[in-house]
Amino acid sequence: MIVAGCDVGSLTAKTVIMKNNEILAAQVVRAKSHPEESAREVMDKALEQAGLVIDEIAFCVGTGYGRTSIPFAKMVESEIACHGRGAQWQMPSVRMVIDIGGQDAKAIRLDDKGNVIRYVYNDKCASGTGRFLEVMADALNIDLTEMGAVSLTSQNLISISNQCVIFAETEIVSLVNEGKDIADIVSGLHNALAHRVAALAKGIELQEDIVMTGGVAKNVGMFTALEKALGKKIKNIGRDPQINGAIGAAIFAAERLRN
Amino acid sequence: MAIPSKTIKVFEELLESPQNRLVEQAVESGRIPIGYSCSFVPEALLMADKLFPLRLHAPGLAGTELADNYLSCFVCSYTRGLLEFAMDGRYDLLKGWVFVPSCAHMQRLYDNLEYLQKPDFNHILDVPRKVNNDTLLWMTEELQMLADKLAHHFGADMSDVSLRKAMEQWNDFASVVQSIGDLRKKPNPPINGAEFHQIVMASLASPKDLILPYILDFKKEIEQREGIKNSRARLMLVGGHLHDPEFIRVIESQGCVVVADRFCTGTIPGFKTIDINNDSPYKILAEYTFAKTLCPRMMEDFDRRLNTIIDTVKEYNADGVVLEIIKFCDLWGVDAMPLVSALRDNGIPVLRLEREYCLGGEGQLRTRVQAFIESMGK
Repeated sequence: MIVAGCDVGSLTAKTVIMKNNEILAAQVVRAKSHPEESAREVMDKALEQAGLVIDEIAFCVGTGYGRTSIPFAKMVESEIACHGRGAQWQMPSVRMVIDIGGQDAKAIRLDDKGNVIRYVYNDKCASGTGRFLEVMADALNIDLTEMGAVSLTSQNLISISNQCVIFAETEIVSLVNEGKDIADIVSGLHNALAHRVAALAKGIELQEDIVMTGGVAKNVGMFTALEKALGKKIKNIGRDPQINGAIGAAIFAAERLRN
Repeated sequence: MAIPSKTIKVFEELLESPQNRLVEQAVESGRIPIGYSCSFVPEALLMADKLFPLRLHAPGLAGTELADNYLSCFVCSYTRGLLEFAMDGRYDLLKGWVFVPSCAHMQRLYDNLEYLQKPDFNHILDVPRKVNNDTLLWMTEELQMLADKLAHHFGADMSDVSLRKAMEQWNDFASVVQSIGDLRKKPNPPINGAEFHQIVMASLASPKDLILPYILDFKKEIEQREGIKNSRARLMLVGGHLHDPEFIRVIESQGCVVVADRFCTGTIPGFKTIDINNDSPYKILAEYTFAKTLCPRMMEDFDRRLNTIIDTVKEYNADGVVLEIIKFCDLWGVDAMPLVSALRDNGIPVLRLEREYCLGGEGQLRTRVQAFIESMGK
């Protein structure tokens, strides 16, 4: 029984193909302007990796902001449910997922079966999201993927007061002009974002174990800053945290076939 | 899902502008439209003689550039939307305005209208914030003062006979709408929440006697329907002003059906019929208005608001409550905190949504509703 989960987000599209509860292939691509195009591209890559053709996928579940535009998805689930189910499949002890994606940040409380009990969401501005870091990386002229490692070399604490992406960018430029160290600025950015997301998560009561998912979870500096802001240990989910939603979608697909 | 209705198109069209064709038709025949924005204004009082009430709405509001010059961005988008439409001449057919100091934002709207447009008739109904024997007397006097002012200004017949006739007309109208609303209690309701709200909003924004034949036609049509099957969940919608039926349509696009509406422009309990007894019409209307309006502006009334929701959830067999609040609405924003906890303590799942007056962020709304339905195990 081969199933797939396809998660089309605002910045990236992800697909996971599973067979008998094991991952055969997982791919991430940069999102195109049309979600349908993104879905096709990421699925084609995953199929190529697994050595399969689309007709061999018995059931595919779509999720993410582009979920209703995925042509081969037979069912859609919210990314909240998919992140919950994906995290629980990867680590059964998980009771809270903090997902920071390109366009939103969310905290999800789960029961022992991976069902969503409560969730909270920030999707009204970019200040608590991956997009915030992306804009700041551009302003600092460094690669987004380097931000985590750069921040770990920070020696001084800098407080970034502006949460708004637009005004924070101005503040960053001012700090650069003042000659502040890039590592300190990046660390300050991580702390600002982490405190915002931690406040969101605390609103639904922190539960352990906590994992972090989404593209931003790959940023080691952000991971550390969020642990400090929460005052709790965040467990490493093991696999690429960016594909967690797609894993959850694939698990839903498998459940659907079983039932 | 139910078959799309042809009659419903009529209501859609009537909601495209505050000055719809039925309003124009009534004005051409010499009738006098009075705008109001709050459920504490009893519609029946404004239905006397040649008057007719129009609930103020701002359909298709694209921005509030004009109003933003006078109202701060911390004033709710509904209030700013009304001032925008007023300044843009979209309420020019109105002959008068009746406001309630329901909140500071509405009071600023009244002030700005006075300053900017100097309407010939602009009245504030000073509704008390508690319900007891003294305030009932106060409210009775307030309604009488409003009626006297309307009689003096427009030459309208506000006699007891005229008011009793208006209350009977309101009852005829409200009982038809309520009978359609009652169909939503069925396991497979023949009407979805968006359609029902279209009828309610169109009727609040049109002369009741002119829209009633369309509502009766629609009722006949839905009585032939099979009903909505396979909905994932039955939801109750709670909150302040909700005008755009599209908001409900987006919620229902996630496979649920909205079966009950406890918000300012909803029917529970806003469309109760009036108990017309031998008391003075003003006292009858004062008692009726207190009973049919559940607003967080009222003090010592939280339990009644809460219990009405809990009772309605049971009566309509709702699986959960969606609480929608317009951003910067302090009344609902503050009330929501204990309300959410109390509903959850009573085993009722709640989704709290903050929104603007106009529908926006449909993708986010869909995700939240879908996740809410999933979290209920539906």
